[in-house]
Amino acid sequence: MAPPRPHVLVAEDNQLVCDAMRVLFEETGHRVSAAGHIAEIVDIASSDPVDLLLLDLGLADGDGLEVLSALRERDALPRVSVALTGRDDAETIARCTAAGCRAVLLKPVPTRELLEMVKGWIEEVNREP
Amino acid sequence: MQRLEPSAPPYGGPADGRTESIEAQLIAAHERIAELEARDSLKTQFLANISHDLRTPLTAVITHAEIMRDGILGPLSERQLDSITGIINGGRQLIEQVGEILTYARGAANQLTLTRSRFSLAEVVSQLSALNDSLASKKGLALITDVPAELEPITGDREKVAHIVGNLVGNAIDFTPTGGRVWVSARRVDGPYGDECVVEVGDTGIGIDPQHHELVFREFAQVDSSASRQHHGTGLGLTIARKLVDLHGGRIWVESALGQGSRFYFAIPYPPG
Repeated sequence: MAPPRPHVLVAEDNQLVCDAMRVLFEETGHRVSAAGHIAEIVDIASSDPVDLLLLDLGLADGDGLEVLSALRERDALPRVSVALTGRDDAETIARCTAAGCRAVLLKPVPTRELLEMVKGWIEEVNREP
Repeated sequence: MQRLEPSAPPYGGPADGRTESIEAQLIAAHERIAELEARDSLKTQFLANISHDLRTPLTAVITHAEIMRDGILGPLSERQLDSITGIINGGRQLIEQVGEILTYARGAANQLTLTRSRFSLAEVVSQLSALNDSLASKKGLALITDVPAELEPITGDREKVAHIVGNLVGNAIDFTPTGGRVWVSARRVDGPYGDECVVEVGDTGIGIDPQHHELVFREFAQVDSSASRQHHGTGLGLTIARKLVDLHGGRIWVESALGQGSRFYFAIPYPPG
């Protein structure tokens, strides 16, 4: 039996970027959910465990990192969370790392590199007991 | 000696009226300056917002194009691949320029801060050299670096110092015709400006007329020449470099003449003790 497709949640309030990410990940063997509001993102992640969260910091209704604190409270943190942002200054990186992000990537991340990194992260968490 | 107090002029009679008029003009001038400064800062904020917002749709364009380039949606013909690659390269160039405008706007609004650490300049230069090697060799230029590994590490914002050197090297490559040389060197100098690390980025390019040496550091200024018209930059690179050097308490300057190549220098002070 084929292994289940990893669940990727795209937390992004811009429909154009959401659509691009959906095509990229669906076409490369992932199952994709997408949402742009904090409550909606938290609902999805709480009801359908997420392997990889791609988190935009500037969501329609607030700071993307609030998603992580809400999910931590519900014990529903994604297996890997990555911030995709327009800023990669030291302060942003520190804030994201403290909130539990595995990496802070500056948009647009070259797709080959992004797929490579995602593959590595998912393999890594799959090896964990 | 009697001091002139605006509130209590020592003169009587008609002079009172003149003083009041001058005071009124001064107040009006101050108000006007404050208003212009407020408008200027609004514009700067607008520039920061718009350059941030431009990244989002560009991200979508580039991501879709890369999905197609990588054959994720199916194989492409060679000409289709060339076209898609053109879209990606154009988009990436636009992203870089938008990023430069954003950095400029943050600098103008005094929103740039330094994350200081002690780091090796030799490493920074070696990484930049690797990044620029293919660009230089594509143009038939020799890119030479001479930064001794044992050079005393400098204290500053590594990323921003890399930005300064990267900008100067990029300009040098842009403005140097085929067959020329671009070099980066650094040394420690304990001179009239104190103990500092002086970095030189030189080239054998078209050079800059001495009357334009100050102009090149001003925002949106490109010395008018066919070479600078072909140059694809925003005209903000050197303004940003100067801002970043200033934040480090350093100096930046150029030595050049038309047809003689250019040597850009910047100095970052070593912390005392």
